[in-house]
Amino acid sequence: MSQTQVNSICPFCGVGCGIALVASDNNITAVQPLSKHPISQGKLCAKGWNTPFGINHHDRLTQPLMKVDGEFRVVSWKHALSHIAENLKQFICESGPQSVGLISSARATNEDNYAAQKFARAVLKTNNIDHCARICHSPTVAGLKKTLGSGAMTNSIDDVGKADVILVIGADPTENHAIIGGKIMKAKLRGAKLIVVDPRQTRLAKVADLHLQLNIGTNIALLNGLLNIIFAHGWQNDEFIARRCEGADALKAHVADYTVEKVSVITGVDGADLVKAAKLYSQANAAFLAYGMGITQFVSGTNNVIAVSNLALICGQIGREGTGINPLRGQNNVQGACDMGCLPNVYPDYQSANDEQVRSKFSRAWQTEVARLPGLTSLGMSHQARHGNFRGLLIFGEDPVVTDPDRNKVAQGLRAMDLLVVIELSMTETAKMADIVLPAASFAEKRGTFTNCERRVQLIHKAVSPPGEAKIDWQILSELAKEMGFPELMNWQTSEQVFDEMCKLTDSFSGMSYPRLKQNNGLQWPCNNEYPDGSRCLHSTTFPIGKGKLIPVYHVLTDEVPDAEYPYWFTTMRLHFHYGCGSMTRQSPLLERETPIGLLFIHPQDALDLGLKNHQGVTVSSRRGCVETRIEFSNQVSPGLLSMPYHFKEAPSNFLTNDAMDPITEMPELKVCAVNIIPLPENQPPRSSVLSDAGSRVSQ
Amino acid sequence: MIERYNIVNNRYLLKDLGVLKHHLAKYYSVVQIQKDADGEKLWTEQFGDKIEPLFGHNHLPLTSPKGFLFAEKEVLYKFDGETFKTILPQVQPKVMFGVQACDLSAIAYQDKFFEHDPYYQKRRENILLVGIDCESPCVTGFCVQVDAGPHVKDNTADLVLSRLNVDDANGSSEWLVIAATEKGINSIKGMTLDKADNKHLKLRTKLLEKVRSEFVDYSYISNAIEYLNNNSVPAQLWEELSVRCLGCSGCTNLCPTCSCYTTYDVVEQQPEKPVSISREVKLEVTKSETIRCWDSCLFEGFQKEASGHNPSQKAAQRVERFWFHKFSDEYLPEFQRYGCVGCGRCEQTCPGTIGVHSVMKRIDQQCCS
Ligand code: SF4
Ligand code: SF4
Ligand code: SF4
Repeated sequence: MSQTQVNSICPFCGVGCGIALVASDNNITAVQPLSKHPISQGKLCAKGWNTPFGINHHDRLTQPLMKVDGEFRVVSWKHALSHIAENLKQFICESGPQSVGLISSARATNEDNYAAQKFARAVLKTNNIDHCARICHSPTVAGLKKTLGSGAMTNSIDDVGKADVILVIGADPTENHAIIGGKIMKAKLRGAKLIVVDPRQTRLAKVADLHLQLNIGTNIALLNGLLNIIFAHGWQNDEFIARRCEGADALKAHVADYTVEKVSVITGVDGADLVKAAKLYSQANAAFLAYGMGITQFVSGTNNVIAVSNLALICGQIGREGTGINPLRGQNNVQGACDMGCLPNVYPDYQSANDEQVRSKFSRAWQTEVARLPGLTSLGMSHQARHGNFRGLLIFGEDPVVTDPDRNKVAQGLRAMDLLVVIELSMTETAKMADIVLPAASFAEKRGTFTNCERRVQLIHKAVSPPGEAKIDWQILSELAKEMGFPELMNWQTSEQVFDEMCKLTDSFSGMSYPRLKQNNGLQWPCNNEYPDGSRCLHSTTFPIGKGKLIPVYHVLTDEVPDAEYPYWFTTMRLHFHYGCGSMTRQSPLLERETPIGLLFIHPQDALDLGLKNHQGVTVSSRRGCVETRIEFSNQVSPGLLSMPYHFKEAPSNFLTNDAMDPITEMPELKVCAVNIIPLPENQPPRSSVLSDAGSRVSQ
Repeated sequence: MIERYNIVNNRYLLKDLGVLKHHLAKYYSVVQIQKDADGEKLWTEQFGDKIEPLFGHNHLPLTSPKGFLFAEKEVLYKFDGETFKTILPQVQPKVMFGVQACDLSAIAYQDKFFEHDPYYQKRRENILLVGIDCESPCVTGFCVQVDAGPHVKDNTADLVLSRLNVDDANGSSEWLVIAATEKGINSIKGMTLDKADNKHLKLRTKLLEKVRSEFVDYSYISNAIEYLNNNSVPAQLWEELSVRCLGCSGCTNLCPTCSCYTTYDVVEQQPEKPVSISREVKLEVTKSETIRCWDSCLFEGFQKEASGHNPSQKAAQRVERFWFHKFSDEYLPEFQRYGCVGCGRCEQTCPGTIGVHSVMKRIDQQCCS
């Protein structure tokens, strides 16, 4: 029973901390932090420390399952794959390649994601390929693409330590990206000024120099207001604007409408604080701006991102160490899933799927025809399915029934399909609805790469063998391609071969290889002839689109605002101790114990007004559905605002959330809607809500 | 416990540590510190002798060897539907080759804490501890302030290795080997070793003084310990510090003297809810395993009762309690030493920058001047 240690990367968020997985008897028994890792430097958050519980749990899928008469039966891989292949071929033949698609996973490796988009485009001949970024950061990609030409974090995580002002907007990094949050707190100790813009009083807000506790959904008004103050005082960086930006005059004229008084009324933030914040940020030598889903998850998500970009550009706080526009991304490999082209409109490295040259480049390289028509997003696929136009879907490691907005519609969509295949670690809510479930290998059971939020591609290694017959995603796709009649197309033997193929077809990754990644402790893209050792900081001399675009954006109301019927604001949040739909973190008894008794956070004053006791059961309802849960007193929310974490299937916040979309990216407005609460009788426990197989809501 | 250190004191000289290691490897599997390609130091089980042991100084791994004695996660019992069966760990004799003084002091501390714990004792009995004197201070260590090093303390190891001199010309060294226990003597039976004499012991003491003098001034730690024991630290300071505690559990996991654990049951045939620690879930038990894993007193749930009542609901209470456990005189009668052995690991791992140096510096600055 000897013990082995294998280096890997924590799978729980986009920070990408280094861990050693300690294994004995093919079991992960512990993790150890790595003091030499460039980001985590010997630190981990509670999720990272609890990694072993997420991998070894006792309910792993170990064999392919096929639903027969409503019940799952064990089948062979051969049988499962040929069944899938036959069906897909039939759908394509009868209804065209637009009727099939894949949803890949922001938790899977780059190799898995590369394989998924290749399978879609070269085997199925469809651009119907997506992953969950839609519900996290697609407005980032769309917004920054317009203003800068590239949607990734512009700087590096340790730039936090080089900034003298740090501005955090709509992000809760001590809870969601704890190691970055810690670096921000450390910078503050060292003397950096910290400004937090958030409707909730987050932990960082408590230690900040300035907390602008704005009304929810008023980001654009606030940011335009800051710009107006900056122009009025002449605090803008004229030299930078002249050299690097276009559209400054129009922007200046546009924001002139956003007077301090007006913005103060809209946002609820004191005018003097706005001026202080504007001065601090614009006058800093180096100001690091970080934002999160409190910017993106709105109908105005893309415009919110543009407003953020305007602020950084006007102040010249980009392109240097310690500055930048830095989106903090949720899932560990959401950056990689985007980079690998698991989006309907782009191939790997953001090469446009609408560009004939790009298509013929890939067609030549893969020696087969590729998809021609524009593809559908995941919501688009679900929508088309409800209208009978979409028939077969493969979902890798995602649980959209729990995590997507308006889950009832999602479930309807999935049910309307002729074939749903789910490739998963365990029997999730979505997997239960599938026709075929295939057992997948976890990150500890394979080699590959993850890309963290600072564009660092990092190697993971196999510490234990997959349970039973479970396989790696790219292997499954490779075998399925063979069943579909493409024996050579995806015939890789190792993950390294997948990676090398990807590097050959892209520019940003062209200087990377497994040995180089190992030597350098990961490399940040672009890593090519021009930047052979990768890039710590983007846009130091020019933007990918040349000059940075300043684009005027308007403050708009959120899709729903409280009214007589639904008088409370409602927002969603994450808890430090959990991740995504909780399927991995909730396996840890330690983390599970940290779950508060009440899952609806309410200001004590509101509770008093309603005559509610702490932990009393309530029914929360919105125009879309209702959930029973207990309340938890919290000073983090202001009166009138209720907040709920989204990890818990017994209290699924997406019964309530709005699926009104950002028109540009179809990003749903998950961050805000209007709700009402009605107390349950004092001793009546809330019923937990689950989605039955029939898709309707049942209570247990 | 005391029998384990049936004190003997045989001293020998040795030119080549490899000889000792090879000898011990005949009877024990060897666990030692290794450096990986990135320079990370880890306690690992050594296979063959491909990688040379790291000796001398400044090689304290971030992760202590605690897990070899008190496992991160282990099955305590199995329930087959009718009876419970205790599962004691299957262990082979191991030698921990080259444990630093602070970690040895911590193991001695844990020996007392787990005196009646069969799981710990089963592992402990099968381990031979070979300690090594540090030759210079490590990055965040302050063993001198808490009487845990830099040279191996009496009664904490079976064999003690101390390098007396290095011959730079041929790279060879002369080592003093002290067999401090019966077990230590037995472990080197059959080796031919020269006897050391008093002059060698004096040299060791001289070297100890030299290393002690190389430590930077950590008087803020001694000041703060004194203050903590004689006064109460203002609640406001604990508040300020505890806002920075993210409840990661890093400090308690890495601290070599932390020993908190929890147990939970994993129930078979209940794939939906394998973890029965959660509230409001009643499971019909068919077959189950009771597992013990490391816990942390910094978690809010650590003392939370099923009713929701929690005597240490506030982070400030938890942070204060942690440091009380490390530095209070109250524990001296039981353990004959402080709960902190000065390894500095909590400082390195704390994402909130409230490890031992940060906390003690704050107390010193705010309270002691
Ligand atoms: S900060 Fe993120 S990557 Fe680091 S340990 Fe926590 S969850 Fe893992
Ligand atoms: S409290 Fe910190 S310095 Fe002291 S023994 Fe524990 S980890 Fe080491
Ligand atoms: S290491 Fe720091 S943040 Fe983590 S539990 Fe300990 S005191 Fe809290």
